[in-house]
Amino acid sequence: MTILETRNLIKRFGGVHAVDHLSIEVEKGRINGIIGPNGSGKTTLINLLSGMLAMDGGEIIIDDVQKFTQMFPHQVFFYGIARTFQNVRLFEQMTVLDNILVILTKRNVFSSLFEKHTEYHLKKAEEVLQRVDLWKKKNQLAINLSYGQRKLLEIARALVTDAEIYLLDESFTGLFPEMRKIVSNIICELKQENKTVILIEHDMGLIRELCDYIFVMNEGKLLVEGKPNYVLEGKEVIEAYLGK
Amino acid sequence: MEYLIHLGILFTIYAILGISLNLVIGYTGLLSLTHAAFYGIGAYTTAILLTQTGIGFFLSVILGIIFVGIVSFLIGIVLSRFSDDYYALGSLGLNMIIFSIFLNWQSLTKGPLGILGISRPELFGINFSSNFMFLILTLLFLILTYLVARFIVNSSFGRVLKTIREDEKAIQVFGYKTFYFKLAIFVISAAMAAVAGSLFASYITFIDPSSFALMESIFIVAIIILGGLADLRGSILGALFLILLPEVLRFVGFPSEIAAQMRQVVYGVILILLMLYRPQGLIGEYKL
Amino acid sequence: MEIFSQLIFNSIIAGAVYALIALGFNLIYGATKFLNLAHGVMTAIGGYTVFYFTKTLDWNIYLAVIIGILFAGLIGFSLDKFVYFPLRKRKASNMVLLVASFGAFTAIQAIIAILFNSRFQTLSQNTSAQKSFEIFGGVITQTQLIILASAALIMTGLVLLLHKTRFGKAIKAISDDEEVAKIVGINTNKIIGYVFFIGSAIAGFAGILVGFDTGIEPTMGLDLLFKGVIASIVGGIGNLYGGVLGAFLLGFVENFGIWKISGDWKDAIAFALLIVFLIFRPRGIMNK
Repeated sequence: MTILETRNLIKRFGGVHAVDHLSIEVEKGRINGIIGPNGSGKTTLINLLSGMLAMDGGEIIIDDVQKFTQMFPHQVFFYGIARTFQNVRLFEQMTVLDNILVILTKRNVFSSLFEKHTEYHLKKAEEVLQRVDLWKKKNQLAINLSYGQRKLLEIARALVTDAEIYLLDESFTGLFPEMRKIVSNIICELKQENKTVILIEHDMGLIRELCDYIFVMNEGKLLVEGKPNYVLEGKEVIEAYLGK
Repeated sequence: MEYLIHLGILFTIYAILGISLNLVIGYTGLLSLTHAAFYGIGAYTTAILLTQTGIGFFLSVILGIIFVGIVSFLIGIVLSRFSDDYYALGSLGLNMIIFSIFLNWQSLTKGPLGILGISRPELFGINFSSNFMFLILTLLFLILTYLVARFIVNSSFGRVLKTIREDEKAIQVFGYKTFYFKLAIFVISAAMAAVAGSLFASYITFIDPSSFALMESIFIVAIIILGGLADLRGSILGALFLILLPEVLRFVGFPSEIAAQMRQVVYGVILILLMLYRPQGLIGEYKL
Repeated sequence: MEIFSQLIFNSIIAGAVYALIALGFNLIYGATKFLNLAHGVMTAIGGYTVFYFTKTLDWNIYLAVIIGILFAGLIGFSLDKFVYFPLRKRKASNMVLLVASFGAFTAIQAIIAILFNSRFQTLSQNTSAQKSFEIFGGVITQTQLIILASAALIMTGLVLLLHKTRFGKAIKAISDDEEVAKIVGINTNKIIGYVFFIGSAIAGFAGILVGFDTGIEPTMGLDLLFKGVIASIVGGIGNLYGGVLGAFLLGFVENFGIWKISGDWKDAIAFALLIVFLIFRPRGIMNK
């Protein structure tokens, strides 16, 4: 079943097509890798899928029925999409715990005014922070965490939304081996829960190990797609990375 | 003694202004420079109602809150689309426009001449015309403002405000329509400033536009940055410090014409030094 | 008809002055990406330097003007060196720089008021004897013609400087991307220092022109700053041509706006223009 689809998606920056008539279909319950050289439009695609950038054309279809020709950032949460950022974007001068709690509380202005976090929220937060080994740091400001811990906190923040689709933008980059292990475990667990992951990653070993399916992008277009073994052997990919 | 009470009343009024503006600048990260305008609208509402109609002070406070609520709602709709420097500029422009209205709508505000003979309040047979009683009244309002503000910042709503300050786009992706949060806190903050305005008008018994010019907004900004952004007690401390400062300057022996200017020099230098060496203020944690 | 041509003259003259302020402001904004509010007070520095050298020391007027321009530039340069540069070095946010620049503005303005006094004074030797010309029923003074000519001269000079010299190309590179400029070997901090000098000097010159045309007072900077900022935003911030276009648009809107109503509303009209642009076209006329 297709959970997320783009049709002729376009994003231009000035005269450059960062995403150029891109049409992909993402199956539910799979771990999907997006690879491609720098500047091939991977992060732009994630930004379009999460409403962070306005599209210049085409459409995004969620669950086969919800069609968008324009998507706003505050909508994506309600369609079950959560994301991380390539350059980590935490709520820096807030505690680790607050970074998580804010995802759990009410979205409505008036009800949030009369709401305080409860034991239930704390339990949820503890659960997810334990998974990334940050519960003991819960009262530290996010800005004071190490780079790896910050990446993990961002993943925890996405996890706690309980979304259907997770957009992970280079979540492994710059992590120590034991942290990489935590992240790959989380991704595998998401798959077991039948969640969908879209992962941008440069490490081909990881891609081969984790992904069920791969999209290769180049210059904003889809170069090739398919199962890792098929795609990674193909000469298109090698050419895209190394030049002809 | 009487003079100390006078300083006390000014302090409480500015502490209310500081606390309320801190909700917008310190917690939400929006550099609003319109605060003096709402303070002024509150003051003018009370002044006009008390001198031209028979209604009492407390009713005028409520009407002031409602009126400022409406005005700030309309202004907030414009401003809440922005962040950072555009927010600062837009809010500054709106302060100037409202100041112009105070100055030029002469049939209503009496323009630069100001409004004279505003009376002191009376409630349940308690007369607040003595300064001491008035200080108690303003203190009560300060405590009330502090409690409301604390309730807000400790709520889930307050946490969302801080995330807007930290990264507005990022929190939007998690399903928050930040526009409404920015608008709501702007209106709440303005309503608190309106109360401070009503108290000021009734205390001084005379108001003119000069009390609500842009410099007044800057003064309130200086209070909260000095005390500490996103720290309610910091705003109280900041107000105390900056109210006492001119007294110190006077004590040193500057003539009054120069003392007023010296004060501005000191505010300016304080802002520069804080930005350079202590952006979190005296007791705050959050760095601009 | 007379009123009409007079309004046109007034609009053009006001536009020329605003354009000078906007030029420097945009130049600095382009290079540093923060709103340098201290820019406004450079006008007062220029004006009062000339005042001091001509009226107190009785020096030659042309020499005094040159000193005034250089001194304003020097103050702008020093502000960058001692306040903004350290802040930029530790990657402070635009808000920090904005607050610091407003601190500088407040302090310098007050220092001028202490050194000279707050009275309104004119720079010209003898106002009544000033030559004036009548064109299409409107009157334009010699000073105003000098304003127009020198504004045109400075704009042309600046355009040539930016497009024809290596220095200009370096500024452009920094405006596009400071990091990249650094990588290709441009000493960005030095260039930005010069940008502050040039921008502030132009603002100082604008202040001197205003001083000869109408007069100077310590607070003149605020009004001129706002006009320059509004012009920049209306035209497209960081865009030099946009700033000039915005300045003349502002000049016309402001002067024709008060055709049928009291001149006191001039400022309110200017800010209303700002708000209209913030709502409908926040990036300004020229910026995409």
